[in-house]
Amino acid sequence: MDYLKQNEINQLQDIAYEIRRLTVEMVVCGQWGHIGGSFSLAEILSTLYFKELRIDSYQAKSEHRDYLILSKAHCSPALYAVLALKGFLRIEDLYNYCKIGGLDGHLDMLETPILEASGGSLGLGLSYSAGVAYGLRLKEKFAQRVYCIIGDGELSEGQIWEAAMFASHYRLDNLIAVVDYNKVMAKGFVHEEMSQEPLVERWKSFGWNVIEADGHDVADLHKAFYTAKYLEVRGKPNCIIAHTVKGKGIEECEFNYQWHTHAPSVKKGEEFLMELAKRYNKEYTGLRCLPKSKDDGSLAIVIGGE
Amino acid sequence: MNFYKKNLREVFGETLVELGEYYKNMLVLDADLHTSTRTFLFKDKYPQRFIQCGIAEANEFGIAAGLAHVGFIPFPSTFAAFAARKALDQIYMNICCQNLNVKIPGSYTGMTATECGPSHNVGEDIAIMRSMPNMRVVDPGDNKELRSVMHEIMKIDGPVYFRVSKAETPVLFDDDYCFEWGKGIVLKEGKDITIMSTGIMTGICLKAAEFLEKEDIKAEVIHMPSIKPIDEDLIVKTAKKTGCVLTVENGRVIGGFGSAVCEVLSKEYPVVTDLMGIGNTTIKSASLSELIRYYKLTPADVVLRAKKLLLKK
Repeated sequence: MDYLKQNEINQLQDIAYEIRRLTVEMVVCGQWGHIGGSFSLAEILSTLYFKELRIDSYQAKSEHRDYLILSKAHCSPALYAVLALKGFLRIEDLYNYCKIGGLDGHLDMLETPILEASGGSLGLGLSYSAGVAYGLRLKEKFAQRVYCIIGDGELSEGQIWEAAMFASHYRLDNLIAVVDYNKVMAKGFVHEEMSQEPLVERWKSFGWNVIEADGHDVADLHKAFYTAKYLEVRGKPNCIIAHTVKGKGIEECEFNYQWHTHAPSVKKGEEFLMELAKRYNKEYTGLRCLPKSKDDGSLAIVIGGE
Repeated sequence: MNFYKKNLREVFGETLVELGEYYKNMLVLDADLHTSTRTFLFKDKYPQRFIQCGIAEANEFGIAAGLAHVGFIPFPSTFAAFAARKALDQIYMNICCQNLNVKIPGSYTGMTATECGPSHNVGEDIAIMRSMPNMRVVDPGDNKELRSVMHEIMKIDGPVYFRVSKAETPVLFDDDYCFEWGKGIVLKEGKDITIMSTGIMTGICLKAAEFLEKEDIKAEVIHMPSIKPIDEDLIVKTAKKTGCVLTVENGRVIGGFGSAVCEVLSKEYPVVTDLMGIGNTTIKSASLSELIRYYKLTPADVVLRAKKLLLKK
């Protein structure tokens, strides 16, 4: 087993903080976005991009890369943020979130070519990832891996289980699904809306290796990824169930479905940034962008009414 | 009229094998229908490049998109009804939104799933597929044309939906015919009325034109394999010449081929039109000839509708 060193742990935690900070800024800026699910992903994405994924910083789309597909594409702010921290997007681009010519609310690969997939309609990502994994195997690229991040609410989509069946039938052990099990869906708790339990047994019964991890502990996540990559039974796809907290990092948002999709005001955004800085012992840097004007769907702006 | 003894689906299966020889990155995916669609011919020849996905079309199209993302040219094969209706979100989100190089064969199109009835017969696939961004749509009319289409789609990078009807068609084209994107073909010149058709309906229109000829009505018959992009120039040119256009298709007229023609005419050169095909209804269980009679798409019906349309001119 390869354990993270303390300085690596600190670095990954710092990046997770930056992901959260940038997420708040983007969502204030674009006046739209999903804070809750982006926050539960922060450590998962920082560990993946800064420790696990094999990506050439100078040639992001090299054909030797590992692939990361974000099936829960509404959490685009967290992904854009980590891509910017990695140097694949400019930080200024983030402040054009949800504006014409800027980054799309959900993922659009034609607009943002650094992405591996478009997304937004839930349940599609695992099939796509399995297709990539199958393709890599056909090309005899055995060292490359495909990571697919799925939300827990998304597991209600039947296509996820079609893909799970396919991946185990074809023994796609280069595929690693990460379930961001943050226990909250868009409009309520998972266990109240549509329970996914017994989740571990479900994946196992579909022929997958299953590893549980604390999704906010970068050392534990690394252990899980390492296990999936090198220690698990070969010939089976791998599922990491990352236990997370929706909205992790800001008390008001934690386990609170009302922050699934909601844009804070400037004042609220500043409060959030202050709370984040305090919790992670960082210097408060303030909000570095202005929100776009919000029209709430009123056509008066275009038509010119009272 | 000479007829092919070989069914279009047979040509599809054989052409897949032919292309597989040349395009080593071509893959065929199946949803448990390979003997019906004739993709088993490819499976037998290139088992390593054939992927059985089980009866899970949504997953099949997602897998196809993933494979295209890493440089393969996948053909996710199933009945047109299931491609258009069951895998639509996957086609839109994974394939069209990413402009991926996936070639979608829709088998058993229109009435050609025959006895299978409303679940397998499909009238809406043209309307659905041509409204997808980046998607090209083709409905080949005979064996030569289907083969040519399949060769042409390999030369472009992007999603294509092509119809593979289960039918034995008349011979429309000779050996050196070559399909071109956005080009219609004038099969018979005329000045009184234009009859424009796509896919397997063109033979019926040619016969109708023969009947009309006997009554001294000169019909211009145009075959339009490429529905998107469509031959706007030819549509306008023929409308200027004849002043009325009748469209005939093996599918539902709502949003289908006829609508595509009317979109061009209403914008560029409005003339009187009529659209023949399946109306606001499902397609019942019966043989192909029974269905063609039931939905009033025989040459005699085309003659009748053509004459009615001429009165409006």
